[in-house]
Amino acid sequence: MKKILALLLALVLVLSLAACAGDTTTNDTTNDTTNDTTNDTTNDTTNDTTDDTSDDTAAPSGETISLTLWGAEEDQALLGELVEEFKAAYPDQTFDIQIGVESESTARDTILTDVEAAADVFAFANDQLNDLVAAGALLPLDGDIAQVLPAYAGKTLDDVKAANSAGSVEAASKDGVMYAFPMGGGNNYFLYYDSTKITAEQAETWDTLLEAAAAAGSKVGMTLNSGWYNASFFLGAGFSTVLNADGTTTLDWNGTSPDGYTGVQVAQSMLNIASHPGFLAVTDGDLSNQIASGAVCAVVDGTWDAAACQTAFGDGYAATKLPTFTCGEDQVQQACFSGFKLIGVNAYSTNAGWAVLLAEFLTNEASQTARFEARQVAPTNLNAAAADAVTSNLAIAASSAQDVYGFVQDVGGKYWDPAATFGQMVANGELKVDDEAGIQEALDLLVEGAGASVE
Amino acid sequence: MEERTGGFASIGGALGGFFGAIGRFFAEFGTAVVKGDAFVKLSLLWWGAGYARRKQFAKALIMTLLEAAIVWFTLSFAMSYVPKFSTLGTVQAEQVFNIATMQSEWNDYDNSFMILLFSLFSFVVWAVALVVWMRNVVNVYQLQLQAQQGRHVNNFVEDLKSYLDEKFHITLLSLPVLGIVVFTVIPILLLILVAFTNYDQQHMPPTNLFTWVGFANFSALFGGSITSTFGYAFVRVLGWTLVWSFFATLTTYFGGILMSLLLNSKLTRGTKLWRTMLVMTIAVPQFVSLLLMRNLFSNTGLINTFCSNIGLTGFLRDIGLISSSTIPFLSAPGWAHVMIIIINIWVGIPYQMLIATGVLMNLPTDQLESARIDGANPFQTFRHITMPYMLFVTGPALVTDFVKNFNNFNVIYLLTQDVYVTTDQFMAASQAREVDLLVTWLFNLTQNYYNYKMASVIGIMVFVVCAVFTLIAFNFMIGGNKEEGYQ
Repeated sequence: MKKILALLLALVLVLSLAACAGDTTTNDTTNDTTNDTTNDTTNDTTNDTTDDTSDDTAAPSGETISLTLWGAEEDQALLGELVEEFKAAYPDQTFDIQIGVESESTARDTILTDVEAAADVFAFANDQLNDLVAAGALLPLDGDIAQVLPAYAGKTLDDVKAANSAGSVEAASKDGVMYAFPMGGGNNYFLYYDSTKITAEQAETWDTLLEAAAAAGSKVGMTLNSGWYNASFFLGAGFSTVLNADGTTTLDWNGTSPDGYTGVQVAQSMLNIASHPGFLAVTDGDLSNQIASGAVCAVVDGTWDAAACQTAFGDGYAATKLPTFTCGEDQVQQACFSGFKLIGVNAYSTNAGWAVLLAEFLTNEASQTARFEARQVAPTNLNAAAADAVTSNLAIAASSAQDVYGFVQDVGGKYWDPAATFGQMVANGELKVDDEAGIQEALDLLVEGAGASVE
Repeated sequence: MEERTGGFASIGGALGGFFGAIGRFFAEFGTAVVKGDAFVKLSLLWWGAGYARRKQFAKALIMTLLEAAIVWFTLSFAMSYVPKFSTLGTVQAEQVFNIATMQSEWNDYDNSFMILLFSLFSFVVWAVALVVWMRNVVNVYQLQLQAQQGRHVNNFVEDLKSYLDEKFHITLLSLPVLGIVVFTVIPILLLILVAFTNYDQQHMPPTNLFTWVGFANFSALFGGSITSTFGYAFVRVLGWTLVWSFFATLTTYFGGILMSLLLNSKLTRGTKLWRTMLVMTIAVPQFVSLLLMRNLFSNTGLINTFCSNIGLTGFLRDIGLISSSTIPFLSAPGWAHVMIIIINIWVGIPYQMLIATGVLMNLPTDQLESARIDGANPFQTFRHITMPYMLFVTGPALVTDFVKNFNNFNVIYLLTQDVYVTTDQFMAASQAREVDLLVTWLFNLTQNYYNYKMASVIGIMVFVVCAVFTLIAFNFMIGGNKEEGYQ
């Protein structure tokens, strides 16, 4: 009896070990069969198996084309509809298209874990483009693959480039090669404000904005401890970021910009803003809480918080481009990193041709219009963006106004932590406005840290 | 002093015993090869030979099949990876698109990671095969001896039965051992190997290849290069990790004992109520309670608003303790360090309290009784009877607690993620923060920066520190003859 017990125990031990190890590769894939769009059954298929089957059944036309598509949780219903339309557009071909959930902001992490097992077509934010290209995970669209567009979709890649805003095409390209289709824009930041406390005129410069906020007993919120936000001051003053081929980032922020401002001057402007009683330095990711809590009457934020701002500011809800800031003697327009949502094709996709067609379909004018209607995502397609419904949306209009001062985010992974640290030092007041040597040293270290080799 | 040498001696003894066993194994094998008859020697080539000679045909068949399987594995699987092990692959991936099939066509490219993994797997299989091969020769030599001395030679059924009888431990342990090898040993060996490669974001398979770089990563960690700040960050992170483990273990341990003494005291009323309330913290998942704590203590959180409203923030600023407009509970070094330890006390005490309660219930009452009669006060009783007994019983648990805290990912990660941004630019350049433990730093490096090689190096360091500490601590605690003191 004892022996049997011991044997059972040993078995349980082994099974639990096996169970633990097995978990890591599983990724829930929503099964989206033709007649089943309303039914939210999740199928516990591992990515490996879905991919393997597509390898095996990969075959000349006439057979079923298996594709996996990853999109954001909120986009699932929309993607389901668009995929049905895609299937309807190619009635001669049978498809088996699986739609899985993968946030656009974390797509890179999941894909790079195992490129060969990742989805054929996936949505991602353009800040991940460099990493994905470096890892060879994205299919370059300019190569032989470009033939499929005229052959099946009746347009060329140049048509696609011309149909979308120049900024979005640039954000989807690297070194002149296009790697993804622009799906939506508006992924930048601008100024929301409460027009009952701040006039449109006051919202034009940081100085008047902060005074008005302080006078109203409220604050202007902005995230400083994030390289995504605090670069806006340096970019505005004419500084730049360059991502090198070896993955390092070159910053010129510790010198003098082509516009004639020094990095120290910019940092001093930031310090003056940060130390103003009308300013609230918000931790990265905490903006929506601050808006909801009513602590701020203006905030530097993006379209994703439009609803929260609308609720908090009520009738006073207004949005505009970012203000100018005093740098040296001048007023300098604050810039921003422009963000876009893209749809790319896995370089290791077997059915690459159909994957490209699907990605293009999901980002064409009709799909972008549908995406705007369902999810209020700003279209990058020029025709779709010109629609009245789009231009009358306050947040999207402000976002486009700010995009004029937008820069494509050309930085490597090593940029973020040093930049966040620099912003935190500014927010904490660890640097002093009159200590130019101290600011210069911090800037030198920032440039060195961001430029460190990727080891 | 005597005890200390005893501790090291027992480590030495264990090592000696281990190598002695290996030596004996080889000696046995040597004897078998030299003294064995022709069939034993033939067993070196054909594994089933010796069994066939003793008419154990079933066993001979099994061994032959096993040998064939290993040869087949070697030729069809291992040989497509192991020859590339020295370079980890040379053929870069290339593709062409074929418009006729609408598919991409690939060359036969190398995947460095697969080469590394499957080569390692092959080495493990071969190592096991080597042991089986040697063991096999020893076995058939023993069969030869049995036959020569006219003793009974087991038939197959008898052999099988022995696995339910005198060899039952083998039956029991083979599956768990297999599980440990596949799910623990191979990953650990893989991690060790990765530490000697340049596997990082610039060298990610399958598109790019990575290769061996020797000890370059280790020298980067110990300040080998000038631009790298890994050495700088490593020393500080290791320092905080040790400080944290020490205080986290000690505070919860003594806190738990004191709490359970308090609850066990006859003067306490409503014991069950208090105990239930304390245990509630266990019932709520840690990540819920910790994230809640993080939000409460964040710069714009509830506690900060409260402190600011009652004027505490202003007071602290006036006396120069803080320079910011909020109290940086979890966002400045020093403050965050102390807060994390304090919050951990709240999370950790209930567990220790439960353990301590159990142990204290078994405290020999005769000793307490006599102490009381001798006029010892409660503190003396605690100091000379309760504590030594607790330490004796829970000593090993204390050691594992220390190691657990050394790798306490949850508390640190959940309390500081998205809240703490370092203002030390050297730390930031290595993606580290003052509040990071080695394990959270490692997580950040792999999860966000794909720096697998440095993460492996740090992983090895974590292992070394934990292993050394555990070995020494266990030998001091359990070594000697303390047990007799309580018999």
